[in-house]
Amino acid sequence: MNNKHVLKPGTYYLQGAQACLEGAIAAGCRVYGGYPITPASEIMEHAAQRIPQVGGRFIQMEDEIASACVLLGASWAGKKAMTATSSPGFSLMQEAISYGIMSETPLVIVDVQRPGPGQGYVTTSQEDVMQARWGHHGEGSTISLAPASVQEMYEFTIEAFNLSEQWRTPVLIMTEETVAHMRERLVVPPIEEIQIIPRKKPQDLGIPPEDYLPWGHDIVAPMANWGEGYNVNHIGLVHLEDGNITQYDLEMHDRCVKRLQAKIEGNVDKIAKVETRYIETCKHLVICYGSVSRTAIEAVMEARESRGLDIGFLRLKTLWPFPEDKLREIIESVDTIFVPEMNLGMMKHPITEALRDRCKKVVSIPSLGSLHTPEYILSKIHEEIR
Amino acid sequence: MKKHPMLKYLKETGPQGDRLPLIMCPGCGSGQVLNAILHAVDRLIEEDGIRKENFVFITGVGCSARLTSHYLNFDSGWTIHGRTLAIATGALLANPDLRIIVITGDGDTGAIGGNHFIHACRRNLDLTIVCLNNGLYGMTGGQVAPTTIPGVATTTTPYGNTEEEFDLCRLAEASGATFTARWTTAHPHQTMRTVMKGVRKKGAAFIEVLSQCPVHKKASPTDMLKALKKNTKRIKSGETAPGDKIPIGEFCNIDKPEWIQSYQRVIDQFAETD
Repeated sequence: MNNKHVLKPGTYYLQGAQACLEGAIAAGCRVYGGYPITPASEIMEHAAQRIPQVGGRFIQMEDEIASACVLLGASWAGKKAMTATSSPGFSLMQEAISYGIMSETPLVIVDVQRPGPGQGYVTTSQEDVMQARWGHHGEGSTISLAPASVQEMYEFTIEAFNLSEQWRTPVLIMTEETVAHMRERLVVPPIEEIQIIPRKKPQDLGIPPEDYLPWGHDIVAPMANWGEGYNVNHIGLVHLEDGNITQYDLEMHDRCVKRLQAKIEGNVDKIAKVETRYIETCKHLVICYGSVSRTAIEAVMEARESRGLDIGFLRLKTLWPFPEDKLREIIESVDTIFVPEMNLGMMKHPITEALRDRCKKVVSIPSLGSLHTPEYILSKIHEEIR
Repeated sequence: MKKHPMLKYLKETGPQGDRLPLIMCPGCGSGQVLNAILHAVDRLIEEDGIRKENFVFITGVGCSARLTSHYLNFDSGWTIHGRTLAIATGALLANPDLRIIVITGDGDTGAIGGNHFIHACRRNLDLTIVCLNNGLYGMTGGQVAPTTIPGVATTTTPYGNTEEEFDLCRLAEASGATFTARWTTAHPHQTMRTVMKGVRKKGAAFIEVLSQCPVHKKASPTDMLKALKKNTKRIKSGETAPGDKIPIGEFCNIDKPEWIQSYQRVIDQFAETD
């Protein structure tokens, strides 16, 4: 692998889109398939320039369906692969995401969210956060991350590849135009400080082809790449651990799909992360994610310092699997929970479900097409708490 | 009992039970095409020294996929309806040493996967695409396909097909494929030899095989095979078949830059020299 052109340790001033792609390269991404769409095209343009420099292959496909499918083939053939799109393109990728969940294929998709429905507009949004979890047909959970800075575009993309390889599943980076187009400082750490989690392979576990179960052995099966003599048939139908579908019965169906769900939802504590501030014995709480957390923390600090409000801050770094137990662990009892989001109240729902008996009220603070100002969030807090 | 020579390439059984017998309907042409493909692969392993491990079969959804992927003792993907060529593109980008054979159907290629089909041909990716054309959607119950001849009654054209049909070989050639051919299930040896040529071709090779679906056509398989012989005319590149005959043979075999080779020149600019 050609590592000469991987971004060297140091301090850079970069756009979020570029930081995302540099994180992908650092994580080992060597195949990129894309299709242009505003406001995600900068990631693809940066990939077109950078991926061949590190010995990888970049291709602009005929549509987003094809871009997502490139990742399936590339992953099976043994390379880490990524695409980036924006909301309408994300809709087209749901088919491949669903197939990726069933076939347990590591891949990374970045959604630079723009407002909808339809073409909506080309500004910023968090309107796809439910689609990230429920957009694909059928059962099966996704892992979705929500970066809030250029630094996190780099770090979360590395994390996304690690999670996808570790759990053998598509990982979605649910970012926003705000963060993708933001320019700020990026600190690239020394290479030895970047943790890269490789794919678990049957060869490493001493499993020969004749004993290999492509969807067995453990809750996350070891994965053989194409070309290594393991005769894997990737499959989208419910299957036995060896990939056989001729022995179909309801028990096998149950076992296949419930394991897909359990490997993600049963390991939320290992996957999902939150950030908290001023959380000890706070009376009120703001829960947010992505770029909204940048203005929400300003509002919280202002409310505490100038107005003496006892209000805490919680940021979801991971949207899905939803860290319900973690939230219930952190929050024992509060009065009002404010949820500022760049949609009409989406993550408010799992938050309300998780904390139904831990608060008196959950207040949505929506914004369509633009980031909330700290003043706006503050005004909404004061409308509730006088 | 003597075993079929190509059984060595099928998963008869596995750790969790038998896979065979294949579930194809009596008289289906898919088995004949699979047999021709496997014979071609067998010879390529023998004659060209291609590692068996490097052959990968990619299928989509439909009879062409259902009757092949699950049984093949090769690396394979039984993938998404119409998306075979996009997935094959990703696999080739990741590992150009793979010899990818896409087994697809007329609906998979000509309808839902039409966009991916023309663009894979345009890019001239080093893929061998074998399309089983039975002129209808077999797996879902015999609906009209983009390859159904005008006037033919199907379950969704009960009063006869009112649309014109695609000529998939001409579509592939016009889109940029560098090798195109058409045979039928009545031409197993020709199919085998053409698949070998397709795999050896550096570029997009499209091979259409007209196949019989006696169940949905409610006809006898032997009559259908006889009709495939009678209604086709072998032609060479540049020739045309008489109006009442379907042209068969190898139509196009030209050389053009192949995507992986062209892109390698981009990569090589940045190769480590020290």
